[in-house]
Amino acid sequence: MKKALFFTPVLALTLASCNPPGKPTLADKWKSPADVSGFTNLYAQNCLGCHGDGKSIAGSITLKNPLYLSIVSEDKLRSITAGGVPGHNMPALAIENGGSLSNEQIETIVKGLIAWRDVSKLPTAPIPPYSAPLGDVAAGKAAFSQSCASCHGNDGSGGPKAGSVVDKNYLNLVSDQYLRTVTIAGRPELGCPDFANRDPATPMTPASVANITAWLSSHRLNEFNQAPTSSPANK
Amino acid sequence: MKVPIQKLTDLGLGVFNWVDDRLHVKKIWESTAGHHVPQSAGSWFYVFGSATLLCFMLQLVTGIMLALVYVPSADEAYATLEYLTYHQQLGWFLRAMHYWGSDFMVGIMLLHMTQVYLFGAYKYPREITWLSGLALLVCTLGLAFTGQVMRFDEDAYWGLGIGASIMGRVPFIGQQLVDFMLGGQIIASETLSRFFALHVFVLPGAVIALVSLHLRMVLTKGINEYPVPGMLVRRETYDKEYAAILKKEGVPFFPKAIDKDIITSAFVIGGIVACAFFFGPKGPGGPADPLQINANPRPDFWFLWIFSIAALMPAEIETFALLVGPAVVGLILVALPFLNGTGEKSWRRRPVAVIVTLLVWISLGILTYLGTTSPWSPVMNAWSAEVTPDAQILHRTPLQLQGAITLQYKQCRNCHAIEGLGGERGPSLSDVGMRLTKPQLVRQVVQGGGNMPAYGQNLSPSEVEALVAYMITLRAEGVPPARDVTLSRNTKN
Repeated sequence: MKKALFFTPVLALTLASCNPPGKPTLADKWKSPADVSGFTNLYAQNCLGCHGDGKSIAGSITLKNPLYLSIVSEDKLRSITAGGVPGHNMPALAIENGGSLSNEQIETIVKGLIAWRDVSKLPTAPIPPYSAPLGDVAAGKAAFSQSCASCHGNDGSGGPKAGSVVDKNYLNLVSDQYLRTVTIAGRPELGCPDFANRDPATPMTPASVANITAWLSSHRLNEFNQAPTSSPANK
Repeated sequence: MKVPIQKLTDLGLGVFNWVDDRLHVKKIWESTAGHHVPQSAGSWFYVFGSATLLCFMLQLVTGIMLALVYVPSADEAYATLEYLTYHQQLGWFLRAMHYWGSDFMVGIMLLHMTQVYLFGAYKYPREITWLSGLALLVCTLGLAFTGQVMRFDEDAYWGLGIGASIMGRVPFIGQQLVDFMLGGQIIASETLSRFFALHVFVLPGAVIALVSLHLRMVLTKGINEYPVPGMLVRRETYDKEYAAILKKEGVPFFPKAIDKDIITSAFVIGGIVACAFFFGPKGPGGPADPLQINANPRPDFWFLWIFSIAALMPAEIETFALLVGPAVVGLILVALPFLNGTGEKSWRRRPVAVIVTLLVWISLGILTYLGTTSPWSPVMNAWSAEVTPDAQILHRTPLQLQGAITLQYKQCRNCHAIEGLGGERGPSLSDVGMRLTKPQLVRQVVQGGGNMPAYGQNLSPSEVEALVAYMITLRAEGVPPARDVTLSRNTKN
């Protein structure tokens, strides 16, 4: 009994000084959003829901798309991450723009995305640049018929494999740059090939990408079902 | 040098007799630890009182040790807790012992109270024993709450905020009570100072005084005999009957009836040590900063049921329920030994008492579980961190995909889960396309209703179209979208 009285607290203290499951570590310490570091953590908390991570897919374009990452510049990634895309469903993440991330955290995300670049997976055809002026609407219709109509239908209002890309509400929610980006990089995770693989025998040229973007954009309608004055259709 | 044992024994006895001659230690011991109790009281059901007292003594020891490091200032309290938890050798274990000791103390005290109620121990002539026990329960809960404040983290801050909000509802003197509680208009250093004083001076002092009274009553009016069905308590005869029981089967508490208390004490200490070892201390969580919008405060275990009630009760009855409810419960408990002080003691013949006890414990259990899971709290980062299962993204039109993005961007996921991922404040959207038609979805999104805000002002018509187009697709494979049965009936007519 006396031994037990002596050894019980000694045993408890000995066990407690080793590495028991209840012992908190510095990793358990509460961290403010500004203290979260590391690309994996930051991406998981701020980007994963809308963009997925290559393993999971999401509503918006996956950022692990090698073609997308090859055409977008580091500065552009930085400005989109920090400032969002005004008027569209990409929020500004930087504190100075109303978000919750410091410049350092924004930089971590940008560098992490850049590290995802993988040139070995790029097509051999000449890759259209990230941005360019809208092309010719009439030529865009022809290019669309050749490259996209088999899925989206001849007039773009939906086909056997994919839905409408000329729906007024859809076009109200996406920017011209988004239309161009998806035309170039596709949504391979959803079955939409990139510019080089829609018809591998004849990859889309930079001009046809600009023309298709112009043709799609020309379908924009305002709340009165009229083409807005800035629409390529009115140019 | 060898000292004869006899000589040492004589010296020890001499010292003891000298002390006893002045302090009457033997007499006090015989009249307290040696007092006679009914043999039937040496039951496993009678161990909770001493176990609660043991927890309190453990809290005193660990509390004094914590106070050697803890600085009760708003600037330093949090830092000292972090130091104790992450840097001081065994500091985490000390904190964990104090935290789990508190939980054990409240839990065992509630078991003690349940046993006293079911065994009719509150009845004549033990009214003051019951009342002092009630006061001890209030003080113990006060110690637990003020102990939570000592962490001075987000749990403490928002717990104080809720406490102040309840105080502020008291008619006429609400504001004065809030000022008195917080030591000013806001939660600051003054608040921590007065809660520290309550936690380490006022409440422990009150507990010591009340325990003395409680034990004094145990000595003067005796420990309740193990109730026998059919043996009724009558004011006129009970004292004589109890004296007869003691005469017939009374045994000294020490050493004849204490064995089960000692064994229980060992288990209680073992339980506290084991919980501290395996689960560690609580917190500190985020700092007590009202600007911290990601705070996810939770009260300590024994207050979770209050958290649930406060979250779930309709807003219209909040003030009434928060002010009148505790007063009514308190009044019933105080009046109990006077209104129900005689008659049957055994729970076997008191079905109402058993049902009330079961209902209280089941309600506490359910409310505590709800408080732990708190499905009413939005998951604040679900919109940006929770992925949507692939099956809910594949084979969607571009417009529907924009709807999926809108669902994330407008933070619908914070309250509505898809396939279990996201908040639970609102219904799951996993099969919303089977439950609501397009017009119903549009109306719900634009006008809100049923605890959901109206989003008409925050969404463009195209966003509503996209969102609804996407939600219609959220249904089991092969199941058609919901249809409006009233429309089909009108068509038939």
